[in-house]
Amino acid sequence: MTIRKLMLGGAMTAVLAVGAWAHSGATGVVKERMEAMKSMGAAVKALKPMMSGEAAYDVEAVRKAAREIAAQSGDNMTALFPDGSDDAPSEVLPTVWTDRERFEYLADALEQAALGLEQAADNGLHAGQSGMMGGQSGMMGQGGMMGGQSGMMGQGGMMGQSGMMGGQAGMMSADHIGQMPADGAFIMMTQVCSACHDRFREKDD
Amino acid sequence: MVVTITAASGALALWPIGEAVTLSERQGDPQRGAYLARAGGCIACHSDAASGRPALTGGAPIETGFGHFVPPNLTQDETVGIGAWSVKDFARAIRQGIAPDGRPYYPAFPYAFYADLSDQDIADLWAAFQTVAPQQAAPGAHDIAFPFNLRFGLKLWRAAYAKAPATAPDTDRSEMWNQGRWLVNGLAHCGACHTDRNLFGGRDVTHPLAGNDDLPDGGKAPAITASALQEAGWSVSDLAFALKSGVSLDGDTFGGGMGEVVRDGTAWLSAQDRRAMALYLLDQDGPVSEETTE
Repeated sequence: MTIRKLMLGGAMTAVLAVGAWAHSGATGVVKERMEAMKSMGAAVKALKPMMSGEAAYDVEAVRKAAREIAAQSGDNMTALFPDGSDDAPSEVLPTVWTDRERFEYLADALEQAALGLEQAADNGLHAGQSGMMGGQSGMMGQGGMMGGQSGMMGQGGMMGQSGMMGGQAGMMSADHIGQMPADGAFIMMTQVCSACHDRFREKDD
Repeated sequence: MVVTITAASGALALWPIGEAVTLSERQGDPQRGAYLARAGGCIACHSDAASGRPALTGGAPIETGFGHFVPPNLTQDETVGIGAWSVKDFARAIRQGIAPDGRPYYPAFPYAFYADLSDQDIADLWAAFQTVAPQQAAPGAHDIAFPFNLRFGLKLWRAAYAKAPATAPDTDRSEMWNQGRWLVNGLAHCGACHTDRNLFGGRDVTHPLAGNDDLPDGGKAPAITASALQEAGWSVSDLAFALKSGVSLDGDTFGGGMGEVVRDGTAWLSAQDRRAMALYLLDQDGPVSEETTE
């Protein structure tokens, strides 16, 4: 038996000894929210190939995944981040408590976007018909770079405000998002996920 | 005879003399400029929506080991913005990293990646920035630790580390690959985060895009070399879609600042440009040696 195997054996024993640490090693509310995040990730993973046009579009599957995400966002999400719950292996940043208002705003924005996606499921995809409008400007259906002269400098145009989750004001409602093509609503939703990850998560790996 | 004279004077009129069109004479296309400003991250970095200030009135502070950098106001305001600048000032700031008053910028401004922008690119950007209404709001000042607050030190830094990007077209490769290379290595400045830096903030150009464990805010940027991306299982279409949606292979979404890069940058690009970036990233040329980066 080599030293390497011995060490490996030791490590295995150590892992088995702390049974409660199975899976990610998290416990309590940290474990609960990690599982919630994972299941939302799985829903996004299921949606992605449909939204990029690589898999057949299935309206019912889109609705179902959107509902799963909506159910775990908003207050249900923020409730999983009580004060001081940053035990290892949590990847949460302290900003989740110091910038609580923004965290709650984004959690609500996610809920609206996911409910919007559920409604938008019937609208099908925009991509493919879009040509040069493949960018965000196209998805928003407004005059971005290919639009009128005003697009560029106006709010929401190319040089303007960064749009949906920019400021605290002006969150789009699920009903509005529901009017969009499904892939537009999906991207709006995933960009809310990212906006939150940008500020409140630091990945370990 | 008349015909001959007319023809001769016509030819004479068209006979070019002197230099090519100068920057100030060049007609800029504000729409293309706005597109470049998205691709280059000007808007993402110099705006801070969370502050409540209007777009381009200055970005969120960047905390680094050298101090606290604040991306300034780029609106047409004459005092806090760039309203009093000439197009030449603008070109020198972007391509060379030198302010109108002659002082070098800190490399938190990734000017080294913009060194290859053409006069037309500059003219287009200039035209786009002319459309941004003046706004007095300002984001505050830098707070740089000694000795980095002494800007003359930046001259040494520039000499050692401000390398021009590897963006020159390779005629053996497709137009799309070259466009991707121009975006990735230049304007979109992926290497500003994804290439490791030394103690002095100089990029390790011998290992471009090999990842950086020490981003200004304490975060990490993964390796995005062709081999790292291939190993992780990325395809061109996955990657192009990620640059639009922020969605990773496993259904997770980007964070650590990459969300903003997508949301305020690459999501606005044409589908073709995102595809070009993905194509290049998955099929990059080998590590660039010191000599060839000059």
